[in-house]
Parts: sequence; C-alpha cells; structure tokens
Amino acid sequence: MKVLVAVKRVIDYNVKVRVKSDQSDVDLNNVKMAVNPFCEIAIEEAVRLKEAGTAEEVVAVSIGPKVCQEQLRTSLALGADRAILVETDEELQPLTVAKLLKAVYEKEQPGLVILGKQSIDNDNNQTGQMFAALTGLPQGTFASKVEIDGESVKVTREVDGGLQTVALKAPAVVTTDLRLNEPRYASLPNIMKAKKKQLDTMSPSDLGVEVKQTFKTLKVEPPAERQGGIKVESVEELVDKLKNEAKVI
Amino acid sequence: MALPRPLLLNVMTSSSAPVPYPTLAAPAHSALEALFGERLRTDTDTLGSWGRDWTRSFTVAPSAVVFPESTEEVVELVQTARTHRFALVPSGGRTGLSGGAVAPAGEVVVSFDRMHRILDLDVPGQLMRCEAGVITQTIQEHASEHGLYYPVDFASAGSSQIGGNVATNAGGIKVIRYGMTRDWVAGLQVVTGRGEVLDLGRGLVKDNTGYDLRQLFIGSEGTLGLITEVTLRLTRAPAAQQVLVLGLPAFPVVMEVLNAFRSRLEVSAFEFFDHKALAKVLSRTGLPRPFEANPESVPFYALVEVETAVDADAPLGVFEHCVEQGWVVDGVLSQSEEQARKLWRLREDISETISHWTPYKNDLAVRVADVPAFLAEVDAFAAQRYPDLEVVWFGHIGDGNLHLNILKPEAMPQHEFYDRCHAASKAIFETVRRYGGSVSAEHGVGLLKKDYLGYSRSDPEIAYLRAIRSTFDPDGILNPGKLV
Repeated sequence: MKVLVAVKRVIDYNVKVRVKSDQSDVDLNNVKMAVNPFCEIAIEEAVRLKEAGTAEEVVAVSIGPKVCQEQLRTSLALGADRAILVETDEELQPLTVAKLLKAVYEKEQPGLVILGKQSIDNDNNQTGQMFAALTGLPQGTFASKVEIDGESVKVTREVDGGLQTVALKAPAVVTTDLRLNEPRYASLPNIMKAKKKQLDTMSPSDLGVEVKQTFKTLKVEPPAERQGGIKVESVEELVDKLKNEAKVI
Repeated sequence: MALPRPLLLNVMTSSSAPVPYPTLAAPAHSALEALFGERLRTDTDTLGSWGRDWTRSFTVAPSAVVFPESTEEVVELVQTARTHRFALVPSGGRTGLSGGAVAPAGEVVVSFDRMHRILDLDVPGQLMRCEAGVITQTIQEHASEHGLYYPVDFASAGSSQIGGNVATNAGGIKVIRYGMTRDWVAGLQVVTGRGEVLDLGRGLVKDNTGYDLRQLFIGSEGTLGLITEVTLRLTRAPAAQQVLVLGLPAFPVVMEVLNAFRSRLEVSAFEFFDHKALAKVLSRTGLPRPFEANPESVPFYALVEVETAVDADAPLGVFEHCVEQGWVVDGVLSQSEEQARKLWRLREDISETISHWTPYKNDLAVRVADVPAFLAEVDAFAAQRYPDLEVVWFGHIGDGNLHLNILKPEAMPQHEFYDRCHAASKAIFETVRRYGGSVSAEHGVGLLKKDYLGYSRSDPEIAYLRAIRSTFDPDGILNPGKLV
C-alpha cells in the first residue's frame, strides 16, 4: 500500500503570534516556522505503517511557497520516501488545498491518505473532509488509532463522550488527532539522508487546478487583553461584586 | 584581621515542647509589627516555607518572616535588627541549593516577594531597572516583548528572583556564551548591614573611579547587604537556534565534540548528562527518548544549542565529522521550537527528577581542559569506595562545571547516607584542590560548603573575605553562619 501524507508549514507552536499593524494578516516576518503538529502525527503514523510492513511507500506532499521544502525535508528525515511540493505563492484556502490534493491523489493512486485533523494556524478542520467529499473516498476523522488489515482500515475516533470505531475500505482518508502517536525526533543521519531523497516540484496549473479564494479576510485582530484580577477583602464584597459588577448572581 | 562578632540571638525558645519555631523577644516583635503590620508573619506555614530553600537537610527555624515593600522599609528593618539584635536572612525565590536562604536559628527572614516591580526599561541603552523580587522569567519575558534579551537562564527561572540571582551570581545553561549573572549587572542598590543605602554602578557603561563595590555584592550571599534594586544589561536576542542531542561512546571525546562545534558555530549551550540521568528523566516525565541506544554503546549524552541562522547545514557537517572520528554514535536535531524545548527538558528536568532520591549534590568546577581527567578520577574513587551508591553526572561541560550527584538508596536511612557522603566529600574536595578547581561552581557556599571553603580559597583570602564582611556588617546581623 502506498500512503500519501499532507504536510503544512505553519508558525511554530511556541512562537507568540503578532498581528501586522495594518491588521491585514498575521506577521510572518522573521517568524520561526515548523511542520503543523497534527501533520507531524500524520507522518509518524505513515512511517510506522511502513516500518510494520503495511505500507510500501510513504509520499509527503505540501502546498505553498518554495520554502515549504524545509518542512518536506523534515518529513523525509522522519521517514517519508519522497516528497512533492505543489508550489504557489498565492493565498490558499481549504477548498483549493483539497482540490490540489485530489489532483495529486489521482496521479499517485495511494491506498491511504493521512492528514492532520486541522492546522494550528487557521484551525479550519476542513481540508480532510473536503478532500474525502471531492474524491468520494471513505473517511475516518480525529483518529486515535488506525489498524489496517488488507483493504480494511479500522479507525478509532475521538468523539464527544468516548470513542467510536469505524471500518473503512481502502483507499481511504484518515485525519489524525493528538493521541494517535508520539512523533519521533529527526535523527541527524536521517536528516543527511533526506537531502538525497527525491523532491518533485509542480505547479497548480500542472495539476489543472485554478487557485482561487472563496472568502476574503477583512481584518485580523489580537485577542482582547485580559484585565488583571483583584483581591476582595470579604465575602460581602465578593457577593456584592458578583451581583452588581459581574451581574452573574 | 577582625572577625565579625558572634551574634547573640535575641530569641527565646519555650521549654514546653513541642514548639516547632523560636519566637522573637517581645520588644523586637512589637518593633517589627509597628513597621510591617500584617506583612509580619509568624504562623507556622509561612515560617516553614519561607524559612528554607530547595535544600532539605538543614534545620529550619526562623522566628518571623517580613515582606518589605520599599528600600526605606528595608533600611528601617536593618536599623531595627541592629537595635534589637536579631539576625536577618534575605530570601528570594528560595531555589538555592546550598542553604544560603535557610534560617536555622531564629532569624527573621526578609522576603522580597512584595518588591516585584519593573521600574524602568531603557530600550536604546539596553538596560532594565527593577526591584529585587522580580522573577527571573518575568525579566526575560519583559525584555523579549521589547525586542531585547536577558540571557541568564536556568531550570528554576520561573521561581527564582533577580535579587537572589545577583546575591548568588547565578550561572545556568547559557554561561558558555553569555557568562554568569555578574556579567549582566550594570547597577545595584543595596542596604548595608549598617543601614546605609548605596547606589552602585548606576547603569554606567564606563566608571573608572576606583574599587567597584558592586562586584563585591554580586555573589555575597546576603552577607554584606540586602539588595533592593538591580539594573541589568540586556542584549539583542540570538538568531535562530537549534538543539542537538548527541550520543557519545565514552566521556573523554566530549571535549573533541565541544571543540568541533565551537570551531564552526556559535554555541550557546553545551551540556552533558549520563545514561542514568536520562533514564530517570524519561521514566518520570514520559518524554520521548531522543533515539534508541543502549547504555554500553552510549553511556553519555551531550546537548548542544547552536545558532543556525547563517548556515543551516553547518550542524550536519560537524555531526558528520564527529561520527567519522568515532566521537559520536547517533544524534537528533530539533525541527521546531517545541522539539527544542522537549530536548532541553531531558537536561533541565534532571535536578527535579533525582530530588526523589534526596541526592548528595556536588557542584564542582575545574578548568575546561581538565574535565575528562577530573571526572574519571572522581568516578573511579566513587566506584571503589561506594560501589553500592548510585552516582549520576550532569553539567555544563563548556564551563568546566560538573554536577556530581550521589543518590540515596531507598532503604538507607537519611543520616547514614549523609554521613557516608560527608566522609566522601573530603576526598573529592582534595581532588578539586589538586586540580585548582572550585568546590562550588555556581550554587554558592551557604551552609552546605562553608566548612569546605578552604579547599578553594587560601587562608589569607578567607581572612580578607571576613574583613570585608565585618566592614559592611559590623554587628553580624546579615545571614550569620553562612559563606565564611
């Protein structure tokens, strides 16, 4: 089975995000970027499938500007066999990404497509589902466990109030939740090997997909500053404040 | 040279047991109450927690804790202490490891918790002025919000206070590139044991007007005065950094690895730990193992933090070279800030992890070039003399600073364990002396190393230290029984 993994370049989880002064977007100047943590889990799962002998080849795909090669190199260092960059400098929205992935899927014909359930920058949680709808593939989203037996893909999903297990028939789509696995570190020997692995670049037009935006960002604002707490002197004061200031009792 | 006069503590101990803590004499108590009101505390909870630092082997017996809010109050406090003849123990974040902030004999603890204001940030001058009780991490964050950087950093930065950092000349994990706290203090305001306020340095870059008293107060462990305000130098933040964790086949090659990295890259940290320290951290924290390795082929690990902004491939080149030379077996490189932090935790969580075994800690320094020979000698000594005790090593190789930790076996009583370790100390410190090293590289002297000061300082030096001390604190009210 061939496994296709989608990898997104996002602002590093530990970076304090700043908004541009004109409020048009988040400031990406000199900001540290990394693989989206959910995508890291997707890569790890694919590599484990390969190590278990279930998958024969792991192909990582990223969509975005040229610098996304960095995240693809990381994916290769983590164990992907080769990588594809669909290069574009245009703004990407989930529907376009899903369409581009569909085109890559049709070229590659994998038995399994693994994506992060969402990216930590836009938090849309849409691409995997849109991709499944466009390709007509069965989907197991929010996976905390994936078991493969021949063509059967059993996915345990984290749902409100517990776990749900669904059985899919490959080819299928899986989106990863946090508890699926603990991604490994990129070892230095593997980082060096990754430099020699195949990384193909193509454009959206090569894939016959037009990049367009279906919505427009009007304004980006930082969260409202929280007021510091105060200390009350007595229970009476607390009750008074709850009643008259917070108006919750 | 004159020694500080021994202090007659104005403390009564009630004969009706069990009374856990001493009480202050009534006039002293009333004077403090008049000065501090509700900020004078004598309840057992406060005495118990503010009366000690991270050490657990000393008696904790303060008579009161006070929380001043201004330099003026500190001055009045010192005058009251002189009048009523009680001793003061300055206290910051209480994360010290040498008992410097422990109050063992009825002292009044002076907590700087309420003096926690940042007073001024001079961005073009790269200076920050703040009160002594500001948390180290708050300083780091405040600087970074303004595009600046305070580089002194260590595992307890989230609790420790800047006054304590200065009083102990705190070191930590970036010393190899940025030096100790001493290198970042541009000015100090202190209240001496005579109750005078001294403004030292005042943030001047240049000031060649004789003896630099500020330097005396850095590392003075509260024996010369109470630090009330600190002016720190700041710098610009380092460019992009990455963290490597490397597996080493033997200890001596660590120097070759250090050399290889330093010759090609800006190294901001070079730390080491042994496989036992790693195993304990992994099992306690659940952190992922950096890479699979068995203790026989990888007995030691090095953590290297390097700047990669200029040449992102440089670490790979150095790694390759080290592998070819047989100095490194395997390694990982952080691919994100999150991974860098997780890798750092493998080193930073060691202290907290092994505290479970109430370790006997030694914080030793020798010249960087002497580290392998020194470690081998001490290791062989420990293995021969204490084959039943577990020894865990970690430390800052780039600074020649080794942390030797002997762990207490679960079944061994505390006192038996400490007796055996104390007996070992002399032999270990003899070795330190032979290498011209230090018995306390960065933890300070406090109560823990006081008896061993002579292994690192000559008799005339110690006499000068005592003379300086009695000049600033003629009544011996400041942190008596500590340091010298």
